[in-house]
Amino acid sequence: MHTEAAKRYVRRFSVVTTLYIALVAGNAALDRLIHPAPLTAGLMAVLTALPIAGMLMVLGLYLREETDEFVRDRIVTSMLIATGVLLSVASVIGMLQFAGLVGTVKVFMAFPLWCAVWGVAQMLLNWRDRRSDGIA
Amino acid sequence: MKNRLRVLRAERGWSQQDLAERLEVSRQSVNAIETGRYDPSLPLAFRIADLFELPIEQIFQNPFKED
Repeated sequence: MHTEAAKRYVRRFSVVTTLYIALVAGNAALDRLIHPAPLTAGLMAVLTALPIAGMLMVLGLYLREETDEFVRDRIVTSMLIATGVLLSVASVIGMLQFAGLVGTVKVFMAFPLWCAVWGVAQMLLNWRDRRSDGIA
Repeated sequence: MKNRLRVLRAERGWSQQDLAERLEVSRQSVNAIETGRYDPSLPLAFRIADLFELPIEQIFQNPFKED
């Protein structure tokens, strides 16, 4: 299922992801080489995180440009599943932290987790559709 | 929502892909509508009705009315 909007999304997402990887690598290298002052390190950290916002904007653009309403519906459904799982996991971890059973968890992991669950949810919905195709 | 899309498509000898191309949607969309897993928006339902040159209610069954 590769609509024109999906192709544009893949192109844009590849660009932003490449930029993100380059910034993460550059940030890590600079951190080792010059040990920047806290202010510089903070600016570098924010700069490195900006492509994540870019990825979300690319996702938003895709939803706006996708003309196939069934495809759009499926993407939104899988995004809601991912958001639900992420918020549930965060709540459970938070409660475990209140109970003193879990230490610090890196907030940085939230977006990769959301993306991973989103991908799995899309795969499951695809599988359901293919199964329905077989029955039909 | 129950509909006669599969029957109307078969009467014309069209595959799901043929219908999808005529409606400018994916084949998966056609399959999902035919099997009742997805209810099309009003604009898409009108496009389908225009394509088959039938009123919407002759393609899609009103879920609030008895047969």
